[in-house]
Amino acid sequence: MTVSTATEATARPGRRLSDEAFITSLVAAVAVGLFIVASVAVPNFFQPLSMLNLITNNWAVISLGVGVSFLLVSGNFDLSVGGIVALSGVLAVWFAQAPDGANALSTGFGFPTWLAIVCAMAGALAVGGLNALFVVALRVPSIIVTLGAMMVARGIAQVITQGSQRNTNLPDDFGVLGNLTMFGTSVKLPVVLMIVLVLVAVFIEKKTVFGRLTYWIGANPVAARLSGINNALHLTRLYLFSAAIAGAVGILLASEFKSGFSNRGTLMEFDALVISLLGGIAITGGFGSVIGMVFGALILAVVTSAATGMVLSPDWQFILKAIAVFLAIVTQTWALARRNR
Amino acid sequence: MTGQEPDAVLSVENLTKDYPGVRAVDDVSFSIQSRTIHCLVGENGAGKSTLVKMLTGALKPTSGTMKVRGADYRPGNPHDAREGGIATLFQELHVVDELTVQENLTLGMEESRFGFLVKSDLDRRVVATLKAIEPSIDPATRVSRLSVAQKQIVEIARAASSGASVIIMDEPTAALSEREVERLFGVIRRLRESDVTVVYISHKLDEIFDLGDAVTVLRDGKHIATKPLSEVAGRAELIQMMIGRTVFQSYTPRDTVTDDTVLVARNLSNHLLQDVSFHINRGEIVGFYGLVGAGKTEIARAVFGADRFTGSVHFKGKDIGGSPERAIASGIALVPEERRTQGLFTSMTIRENIPVMNLRRLSNGGVYRSSAERAAAVEYVGKLSIATDTIEKHAEKLSGGNQQKVVLSKCLFADADLLLLDEPTRGVDVGAKTEIYAIIRDLADRGNAVAVFSSELEEVLGLCDRILLLFSGSLEEEIANGPEVDVAHILHVVTGGGEHAVQ
Repeated sequence: MTVSTATEATARPGRRLSDEAFITSLVAAVAVGLFIVASVAVPNFFQPLSMLNLITNNWAVISLGVGVSFLLVSGNFDLSVGGIVALSGVLAVWFAQAPDGANALSTGFGFPTWLAIVCAMAGALAVGGLNALFVVALRVPSIIVTLGAMMVARGIAQVITQGSQRNTNLPDDFGVLGNLTMFGTSVKLPVVLMIVLVLVAVFIEKKTVFGRLTYWIGANPVAARLSGINNALHLTRLYLFSAAIAGAVGILLASEFKSGFSNRGTLMEFDALVISLLGGIAITGGFGSVIGMVFGALILAVVTSAATGMVLSPDWQFILKAIAVFLAIVTQTWALARRNR
Repeated sequence: MTGQEPDAVLSVENLTKDYPGVRAVDDVSFSIQSRTIHCLVGENGAGKSTLVKMLTGALKPTSGTMKVRGADYRPGNPHDAREGGIATLFQELHVVDELTVQENLTLGMEESRFGFLVKSDLDRRVVATLKAIEPSIDPATRVSRLSVAQKQIVEIARAASSGASVIIMDEPTAALSEREVERLFGVIRRLRESDVTVVYISHKLDEIFDLGDAVTVLRDGKHIATKPLSEVAGRAELIQMMIGRTVFQSYTPRDTVTDDTVLVARNLSNHLLQDVSFHINRGEIVGFYGLVGAGKTEIARAVFGADRFTGSVHFKGKDIGGSPERAIASGIALVPEERRTQGLFTSMTIRENIPVMNLRRLSNGGVYRSSAERAAAVEYVGKLSIATDTIEKHAEKLSGGNQQKVVLSKCLFADADLLLLDEPTRGVDVGAKTEIYAIIRDLADRGNAVAVFSSELEEVLGLCDRILLLFSGSLEEEIANGPEVDVAHILHVVTGGGEHAVQ
């Protein structure tokens, strides 16, 4: 029996899809299906430009989704990313503004753009470090910690901008990064960075020890610790990783609009969470993939833009998102349970 | 000791329970007299808990009958048992912390009309019961403010006021201090005076002599004796009945035991352990034997760096510091007590479970070598004959024995020099047990050191070269295994009889 078991096991690797591949394909199929339905039903939906827009309009949320997905897989939430987007954008602008403005809102530190960016990133990472400190060292549930961190980050941004925005007295090169178009097309740098980020994240997730550790910790933190995994270190890295992405997104958005706005990124943390869950990442941790999250983002984008293309007013988009989330999660739970019966 | 005696409140006749491959309770007949404290003793695996589960309706007997006051009694579930007048006090408490004592006592028995609670004499009745057995507990106190012992008494009062004529208590003193035990005994004696029969299960033999009126001894699922404790001549006779004359050890001295000490632990102390010191040699299998709560798991976890402790652990001459990460890096691996919650990633596949304790072996500069992972999984599935058709099977779908083999594979893959095995065969079928023993012996033969933490005497005697006996957090005695090992003496020590023999 021993021998036959072993050879059988070698003879059939991957003949059956893993649960993860199964759910990812399911999500992808839904995204494609919805896209086809929308193309048929919604006038002017099927145009090359609108397809491209589905991705380019969502670069910020997809980027944030990468960090949020990794943390969800590890069994933790990160609701602070929207707040970090606002904070890092405001900080970058503030540091870059010339020191001799006419009023408080047009007066900054006059740092060169690169230094302003570095300082803004440091601010973002500080929030990530705060998350890690409370979740890892003080063992406060991550949903509470990151909800608090979101408010702290946005609160600081609000104080710096006095509840409004800073958009004057900026050096010209501040607006370059966010508006740089690539390869002679209208595709902007942030979109390219998002694609690179997703590819790197997929590599980390599938091919590195770092990615594996995330799954083990999410599947069973107690067993992970007793198996010699340093959960604390890994979660700290994940929070810093997520905060760094959010910081970069905030800076790119500030550059794109040449302004630091304290309400920027509002509800992005929830959108990032929603696309991760739509993409099949288990809210309990230990299961899911970045690819799934990207398809989750596509589902959400198709649903909302198709709705706008039809008679529905944009006011309906929350209800549509809600329906999409409920349906997606019920379907996934049902499909997995059925498959593993 | 069969048949109907005049005043029997509960009796069982020819009661048998079969599990696949095992007869857990084998043709047991005895009866329990009304208004007595009846003790039930036997080693782990003697069939006590299976018997209790049948009495409480959690399990259905394969054959045989049970009678309460002469009438047939066939509980289909715990609720039926309550109706039949049998209540059980389990080791885990079932009280609601947020409610008051009185609300807990009436929980589930409230009377209502149209969904509204109505006053009845229930409250008066439960308060009277509580006053009778333990006047010092105020019915208006929140249960969260009570001690464990007091909560237990609340549970007992609830059972008594629900009209139970028999209350079964499964190791009620496991979590209690000495003073609290005295208090509980007072409660139990007052229960007897108020016409309640108590079935008392405990490993602590002193308690049985202190409290009991009669005792029933089970061994290997069979009924050995039921007699008044006044007719039992001390601990020795009781132990003799529990272990019988069976020679159940198959230990053969192993010649690979060396004097080369790999682990030295000095003065380990924490909330439970008291100054535990020992050493383990290369090529040796050391057994830590004691009852539940004696400190076995605590020692394993302290050595592994999973819990805080005072004292020192030196492995190969070096202090290994306090984390599982560093313990594994220096060559120690642990098979934890609870495999599903502590050992396995149940939602992941066999392939994904095996490599986790030795990632260096499977990665190159942080990049994971999936092919090596598959090869390792195939290798260990073969080596340990894990019964599965594919390495992609989820760990949760394996049987207990195969799950334990996956946990063992994890540790073997770690290439550890010292393996700490906490209850390595708990909940594992006989066949897998034998295989796991063979793996352990093979490991030691190849020069590894192995520590087995077990509450099964048979396992320790069959496997270990040296046995350390524990009782309530301290190391009582160390004995070398061999043909002339004194089983009665071991049981005497681990049930608390050896306190004054050493130290």
